[in-house]
Amino acid sequence: MNELPIGSTARIITYTQQDSFTERLREFGLIPGTVIRLLRKAPFNGPVEIQYRNSRIVLRPNELAHLRLERIA
Amino acid sequence: MSSPSHGTPLHTAQNLTVALVGAPNCGKSTIFNALTGLRQKVGNFPGVTVEPKSGAIHIDKTTTRLIDLPGLYSFTPKTPDEELSIAVLHGKHERLPSPDAVVFVMEGTNLEKSLFLYAQYTALNLPTVVVVTMIDSIKANGGVFDDIAMEQALNVPVIGIVGHRGIGLEELKEHISLRGFTNAEPEKNNIPSASVIEEQHEWARNLASEVARVPETDSLTLKLDALFLHPVLGPLIFLAVMMLFFQAIFTWATPVMDSIDTGFAWLQGVVDRFVPAGIVQDFLSRGVIAGVGAVVVFLPQIFILTLFITLLEDFGYLARGAFLVDRFMGIFGLQGRSFIPLLSSFACAIPGIMSARIIASEKDRLTTILIAPLMTCSARLPVYVLLITAFVPATMLGGIFSLQGLVLMGLYALGGISGLIAGKVFKSTMFQGSKLPFLMELPPYRFPTWRSVFLTLFHRTKQFLTSAGTTILVLSIIIWALGAFPRTTTPPSASATEAAASQLEHSALGTIGKTIEPAFAPLGFDWKITIGVLGSFAAREVFVSVMGQVYSVDVSESDENLRTVLKNTISLPTALSILVFYVYALQCMSTIAVMKRETGSWKYPAIAFAYTLVLAYSASLLVFHLAQRW
Repeated sequence: MNELPIGSTARIITYTQQDSFTERLREFGLIPGTVIRLLRKAPFNGPVEIQYRNSRIVLRPNELAHLRLERIA
Repeated sequence: MSSPSHGTPLHTAQNLTVALVGAPNCGKSTIFNALTGLRQKVGNFPGVTVEPKSGAIHIDKTTTRLIDLPGLYSFTPKTPDEELSIAVLHGKHERLPSPDAVVFVMEGTNLEKSLFLYAQYTALNLPTVVVVTMIDSIKANGGVFDDIAMEQALNVPVIGIVGHRGIGLEELKEHISLRGFTNAEPEKNNIPSASVIEEQHEWARNLASEVARVPETDSLTLKLDALFLHPVLGPLIFLAVMMLFFQAIFTWATPVMDSIDTGFAWLQGVVDRFVPAGIVQDFLSRGVIAGVGAVVVFLPQIFILTLFITLLEDFGYLARGAFLVDRFMGIFGLQGRSFIPLLSSFACAIPGIMSARIIASEKDRLTTILIAPLMTCSARLPVYVLLITAFVPATMLGGIFSLQGLVLMGLYALGGISGLIAGKVFKSTMFQGSKLPFLMELPPYRFPTWRSVFLTLFHRTKQFLTSAGTTILVLSIIIWALGAFPRTTTPPSASATEAAASQLEHSALGTIGKTIEPAFAPLGFDWKITIGVLGSFAAREVFVSVMGQVYSVDVSESDENLRTVLKNTISLPTALSILVFYVYALQCMSTIAVMKRETGSWKYPAIAFAYTLVLAYSASLLVFHLAQRW
């Protein structure tokens, strides 16, 4: 994800692990197949903001790393 | 489970308990405020256990108790807030009754999220009315919402609502009073029953697209975020907002504070004129009026502070603040979300400690709770303001910033930075090795409704005045009595001031102060200040009323106010030492009680009390000796 530029879109392929955190991601609607867009990165490797359907969430880069992504555009 | 606990059918039940259920940021609180108004009971008073807000609605001889449950994302709890809501809905909460019916609140602009939660909720099979909020913003952005289609799909009543304009509220009240709830049964509308998250989301997404067409995130939110979350401008705006926050507390409140001061002085004058001189006059004037007045005078500042935090929260800026400061908080082993409880702690550590429930990570939550008392709460403000106005000149720097305001900001910063460092220490010792989710929603910006803001201000003000009228009044009277007895006789040659000073010195209060004085003497505290500090362990603002009393003898003999008296009797190093002591010491019984309740053991309040006392004592000692040499 770190190499994805701002404004790019990607599709969720799978999770890199199964725990209560990835369960929460799924409850948020970040299920495999979902297309997400990277809206913003906070400076100094801070949190990133992503959009998918009608939701916008922020999370830390190491949290986003729980998702295996495939870049679309 | 589906019938009312009273054993009567739902539609004839006179007294009903209804829970408000919904995802975070769905507009639940606006509806709760609109329905209950001033008839709310907020459970965060000292001594009252922490529970969700509840309020009563009376319509046509029916009484409904409404419980505002904390928002939740799913029925597999990840935070203490979610655990609480689920426990209440299952009837497993120790004090709250099992709700007879539910008003399920859905966010109109994000129906999929709400319907997903609803899919899991239907397993409870409770009598339900669904409320869809913010239908005005769906339509304003060119979307459509079909409540009839949704009603048919869900088989429960669906009401579209615009909370701040009151649209749909009458219909909701009617449903509540006529008990027009229908059981939300999963099998009737093919809701995936097993906890298969993917299927539930698919169901929610399909239904959402059938009943509503909602434009993607509204353009205003996108525009505002481009500014507020800008890599350079964002943090600058954040700093400006914080500066404004602290300046406002000081400069805007002063005129009102002066008139309150004048009012209480007038009241004292009235008592002195009409009540014959003696113990009764002394009791009313120096005991009751001086004690309570000294605290009530800080109401304007608490008002402004609460107003600011409420506006920022309702507008949606606090979540942006969390995003902006997450990297910074990360340096101290904390996360952006800790910023919200910590900022609330600037109003009062009690709601701050309670709002730490939004933190999923137990280690982050406990750390946040332990450092929350180091954030400068509004109870310290009276102490700071008293000493700053007495010792710091009211000059303006560059025509904008008052020097007094800057010193105040410095004290806030000292507490805040010390708290963060303490957080780092806790995270690298007691609470090592948590790597936990920061994951957070950014809700759309919403203009705060005046009603919601007004209600928050009303309840907070009421709480403050109640404590001034009860706890502080009682403490004022006790301290007055300790100072007035045993009576001392002075030679007739002595002036009234000398007589009063001699009375205080030989009273029970004077004796207590002098006995303990040696412990505080290294910090530069004399026995009078020692009495004030001891009184503060009940609640910090008591310091001011104690000072008002121990020095009132001087005040009554001249036109000088307490500030001038302090300036003439206390040295600058001592004043600095007192200020630093108050920055650190955890002098608040209510905070200790809430900490015990929120952490479930006396261990954490004990740790918090001990470490802050050690910090307070050593920092005061250091400051006092440095200031003396300098």
